[in-house]
Amino acid sequence: MNKRKSSFTSALFVLPYFIMFMAFLVIPLLYGLYISFHDYGLLSNDRPFVGLDNYIAIFNPDSYLSSLFFEGLWNTFQFVIYSVPLLVIIGLGLALLVNSMPAKLRGFFRTVYFIPYSISVSVIAIIWLWLLDTNSGLINNYLTKMGFDPIPWLTTMPYAWISIVAATLWWTIGFNMIIFINALNEVPEDLYEASSIDGASAWQKFIHITLPSIRPIMLFVIITSTIASFNIYGQPYLMTGGGPGDSTEVLLMGIVEQAFEQRQLGSASAMAIIMALIMIIVSIIQFKISNPAKKGGEQ
Amino acid sequence: MLKGKKWLSVLFAGLLVFALAACSNGEDSGGGSGNANELTFWAPFSGPDGPKMKEIVEEYNKSQDKYEVTLQIVPQSEYYKTVDLAVNGEKNMPDFLIMHGDQILTYANKDVLKSLDDIVGDKIQKDAYHPKGWENATVDGTLYGVPLDIHPLMFYWNKDLFEKAGLDPNKPPKNREEFLEYAQKLTNKDEQQWGFVVPTLWPQQFIFPTIVNQNGGRLLENGELQYTSEPVVEALQFERDLIEKYEVSPANVQQDGEVTLFLQGKNAMHLNGPWMMNQWEDSGINYGVAPVPQLGTEQQAVFANSHNFVIPKAVDDKKVDGITNFLNYVSENGMAWAESGQAPAAKATYESEEFQKLKQQPEVAKQFDNAVFSPKVENWGQISDPLYNAVNEVLLGQKEAKEALEEAQKQAQQYLK
Repeated sequence: MNKRKSSFTSALFVLPYFIMFMAFLVIPLLYGLYISFHDYGLLSNDRPFVGLDNYIAIFNPDSYLSSLFFEGLWNTFQFVIYSVPLLVIIGLGLALLVNSMPAKLRGFFRTVYFIPYSISVSVIAIIWLWLLDTNSGLINNYLTKMGFDPIPWLTTMPYAWISIVAATLWWTIGFNMIIFINALNEVPEDLYEASSIDGASAWQKFIHITLPSIRPIMLFVIITSTIASFNIYGQPYLMTGGGPGDSTEVLLMGIVEQAFEQRQLGSASAMAIIMALIMIIVSIIQFKISNPAKKGGEQ
Repeated sequence: MLKGKKWLSVLFAGLLVFALAACSNGEDSGGGSGNANELTFWAPFSGPDGPKMKEIVEEYNKSQDKYEVTLQIVPQSEYYKTVDLAVNGEKNMPDFLIMHGDQILTYANKDVLKSLDDIVGDKIQKDAYHPKGWENATVDGTLYGVPLDIHPLMFYWNKDLFEKAGLDPNKPPKNREEFLEYAQKLTNKDEQQWGFVVPTLWPQQFIFPTIVNQNGGRLLENGELQYTSEPVVEALQFERDLIEKYEVSPANVQQDGEVTLFLQGKNAMHLNGPWMMNQWEDSGINYGVAPVPQLGTEQQAVFANSHNFVIPKAVDDKKVDGITNFLNYVSENGMAWAESGQAPAAKATYESEEFQKLKQQPEVAKQFDNAVFSPKVENWGQISDPLYNAVNEVLLGQKEAKEALEEAQKQAQQYLK
């Protein structure tokens, strides 16, 4: 009886999250899956079931959906490959840097690095557009003053990707940094003390104590950064307009266009679901690589 | 444990029922409110034009007792998604709404708009509006909208820079020769000052078709894409020559780069829509505004879009009296709308003395006669997407005009069903 009561109480605590989880994740997801099996025009009343046709069209090289999807996917992949390592390494670097500061400064710098994360993407884009402007931006202004040629940051490759990655780093790095700071604070101090006695250098301490201790958090950061990078949309949309040509036109831009400009929710949903599957597969691979043969007692 | 799971599944089922009920809720509220004298009106005016439309609606409600119009502003970026969902489900639908001219075709083809052929000529006078306004609201001979305004591309110039270059600050160029001559005089590379900074992205969607039409060409004619035709290639080559041959524009202009330079007083001449007026005013630059010079080789023409009032098909006919009453009021009292920088398509407004005293708006109205609109074909946004990618790459110097346009035509052909 008592046990039953306690599990009922626990269920109550989960309820608010559960309702949100259902309303904003599970139900829309199932609904999206349902839509992806239909010829679902936003403005048409007749929305026949078409089975896997929407999915087949994406993999049919003659269909424009296929080029829309795979070109977008390739551009998204490029961004993921460029941004994730930097998001993780620089996030960890900043965390180490901030943590080694005197306690008084630590709080200040933690806040400073975190602030951009709380700004919306449109503001970020405008700030970087002004900084990077080829002909009137701050950065090129300094470059020309120092005798260099101005760099077309947003209109040529590879600079367009460099700029988008740089803006993304500046925007979101604070989040990873905060998580790493917490992880670093969890590492037991006596491990460092013991290794000091054994004469370990700072680098050895980092490699043999810090990194293994924060490994679960590292995995978490890698996976969340990868998912966030897959979802890139606002930065190229606002900073390069997908250009030059369509070389920074990422997958989400294509999906949004298909859904709300073409009003084809069916094929747009199918694209979104394949994209989600790819993200899940990538996350599983990352998980497997980082956790080869799970050892019994360890977390 | 088992109990717990059962409990969860009951909860899950309950939630599903709740969600389904919420979806089907409000089925009976189609066509706004039930009272024929209470009218809901949607508009995408989330910029400085919003308060102007609000003012018109408030004045109208005060001017008479019979009808009550409620204006609901949906942000531009969300507007057509919201309209789609409302019009399609016939749920929480407005009684009338604003629609851009280039959107009307899509909605008309889906048969969700009321034909206004019986109303215009009867309750609304056709000759009270500029004929071009009607043109952009007509699909296959059927009229679906009453024009609020027409917004063509405009020509702006920096009067201070004109003076500095020894040009008459009150005399904008009229044709290609004058434009090139002025642009070269206005360019001073040592001071990073340019005659005409060529945008590589938006608003090329207005600039490029303007020059194509001035060249006597079309992007689409009789259902056939014309991207590789001589007037189209010439227009793109001309824009590229401004950068590479005449050197009156810097290379590699980024998104809005030309606007930033214009605001900084480093770009002497600029093409953009009339909606930019408030930005120029706020920045305090000494600017002039005029019809677009004839940059093409054949004729005067200017690309434009328009705002129109449309009525969803499912709206009760009883409401039409109230709606037309309001539209006639707007046509007689459009000055507030003109203050937003736009030129109303109603003659009572754009021919009035008060209107003619404004700075920008009469220049907008002068271009009505030459206005050309988006091709009347479904999915034009998608079909023209490869074209503007080509324009982008050619103006960035990454491809040659002819070859880029050939590729664009090939790609766009897929979308043209």
